[in-house]
Amino acid sequence: MSQGRAAFEARLQDVLERRYHDKHPFNLRMHQGLLSREEIQTWVRQRYYYQTRIPLKDSVILTKSGDPAFRREWVQRIHDHDGRAPGEGGLEKWLRLAETVGLDRGDVESLAGVLPAVRDACDDYVRLVEERDLLEAVASSLTEMGAHRIMRVRLAAFEKHYPWVDEEGLAYFRSRVSQAARDSEWGLAWVLENAATGEEQDRCVAALEKKCEILWRLLDAVELAHRKPRIASAAQLRNDPKDGALTAVLPERAVRLNESGREILEACDGERTADAVARELAARHPEVPGVEPDVHTFLGEMERLGVVESRR
Amino acid sequence: MIVPRPYNLIAELTYRCPLRCAYCSNPLDYAGVREGLDAKEWARVFRQAAELGVLHVGLTGGEPCVREDLAEIVAAAAEAELYIHLVTAGTHLDADGLDALVDAGLRSVQLSLQDVEPEPADRLAGGAFFERKLAFAAWVRARDLPLTLNVVLHRGNLERTRDAVELAARLGAHRVELANVQLHGWALRNREALLPGRAQLEAASQAVREARRDHPKLQIVFVLPDHFSDRPKPCMGGWGRKNAVVAPDGLVLPCHGARALPLEFWSAREHAFGVCWSDAPGMNAYRGETWMRDPCRTCPERERDFGGCRCQAFALAGDAAEADPACALAPAHDVVLAARRRADAAGEAPGLVYRGDR
Repeated sequence: MSQGRAAFEARLQDVLERRYHDKHPFNLRMHQGLLSREEIQTWVRQRYYYQTRIPLKDSVILTKSGDPAFRREWVQRIHDHDGRAPGEGGLEKWLRLAETVGLDRGDVESLAGVLPAVRDACDDYVRLVEERDLLEAVASSLTEMGAHRIMRVRLAAFEKHYPWVDEEGLAYFRSRVSQAARDSEWGLAWVLENAATGEEQDRCVAALEKKCEILWRLLDAVELAHRKPRIASAAQLRNDPKDGALTAVLPERAVRLNESGREILEACDGERTADAVARELAARHPEVPGVEPDVHTFLGEMERLGVVESRR
Repeated sequence: MIVPRPYNLIAELTYRCPLRCAYCSNPLDYAGVREGLDAKEWARVFRQAAELGVLHVGLTGGEPCVREDLAEIVAAAAEAELYIHLVTAGTHLDADGLDALVDAGLRSVQLSLQDVEPEPADRLAGGAFFERKLAFAAWVRARDLPLTLNVVLHRGNLERTRDAVELAARLGAHRVELANVQLHGWALRNREALLPGRAQLEAASQAVREARRDHPKLQIVFVLPDHFSDRPKPCMGGWGRKNAVVAPDGLVLPCHGARALPLEFWSAREHAFGVCWSDAPGMNAYRGETWMRDPCRTCPERERDFGGCRCQAFALAGDAAEADPACALAPAHDVVLAARRRADAAGEAPGLVYRGDR
């Protein structure tokens, strides 16, 4: 049974009410002024990967529509992100934000430090848009309905709590207030118009839920990067009596480690964050690609096995 | 034959125990086994085992805490750099005694519980022990030691499987082993009273699935009893392959039960531990695959289950070299099927024969 437009719109709003990432603990702490400079930096550096995926998914959406009017409207989003000329657009503004919070522009652009879980979440978004039809793809973009609200809160919070981020750094947030409002209004009207049957409405609601989950996962990963790992109290680190390999012995198992593992675990002092450990190792081995994500993957695995435990 | 490296030493410090559990895995004639090794001899065994590659030692029994020299034994294991795990009933040690062991190098504790409620727990153990066990669990956690709870499941308590997980979570355990009764030692004498029916097991399996969902951080180990699995277990990870047991009299064995088999094992009192491990005829009797007959000999599963349990083959098929009767492909599987049918049909459970009763 298809519902009336008002009831359908209420369902979509309800998804945002319950699942939009403005309620994620990390965002709550950001907006309350409780994040450290290091946490802000991690968030900006990780979220840049999401920003780079947006024009890709919008390009995919363009390929799904045979309607010139739709494409004329939608292509505007790509222009907003990429700009009409070098030095313009949302991606550029984000990189300026990165510079103002103290990050190296080249490092952020290289995507070298993208957390595996952030990469997975953002790639899932592009994949969702690729695999689903136009209706679901557009419905998944309706998180923009929450975006202009969150941007207002964020702007106020940054001005109040993080005065070290200057006006140029805030340009991205400022531009999104109006862009997101316009885009979501158009997108919502299009979805309400084109989801004719109950089944189509259900798919739109599910796609929006999925997108909310992706944004949530991104922040989960950022939060996790700030846990402080240390060797678990239950673990005994020792050299193997036969071949000298570093071995972590636990109540029910023993885990053999290679030299990289030894180096990572030695850096886990319970004071430094996982993010700091990963960056330190990457700096120590500039010749090796992919050190940072590898360190995060390794620490996740060690935590699962009980070799490492973390506190916030 | 290439002799494998042992990783884990199970040190049975004594067969003495204040409990009289009706499924005790100690041998039926435990009372006749002399407690031979003193702390200095255990220290030598630990040193020699560590040189061979052993990383873990489980101090067990009987009840290891009845030994007055336990702290000395723990210190000797720490000296050999072994990871020290105490397997205890938790009834014999007070908080100060536990502190002494921690100071000596104890790393982790496994506590046995016979049930999750005092009355049936104490009935199974043959004495009033339950409340002391709970107090002991709290002392272990207060010292930040990892705690494993081991609850033996059987026909009389399977319906409290979920409660066992909840109790483990309340006590702060990091792991709970829901060990379905294995029919060795005293348990075989109580088979009719202990073996559960199929419906009971299915309900317990469902309870475990729900418990895993609700307690994602708690390790929950639940293994179907051999009598119902149709597949043999990789008993001890293979005969003489990874795990060594040293019995209270010093005998080096591949498992707790192997001394009941007609095999020659050697004592660590008379030989170096490594010699007992690698050269005793009994240790080599079922090592590797050359001893296997059909259907194991050509079975693709043999690399995973190592032919199952030799003691079970001996007890149920009369020949330790036979395929484990738990396996649906074993010639003697009928014995297991018959026991299963009796358990499914069983009415009133017979009374228990307690450990120590003849």
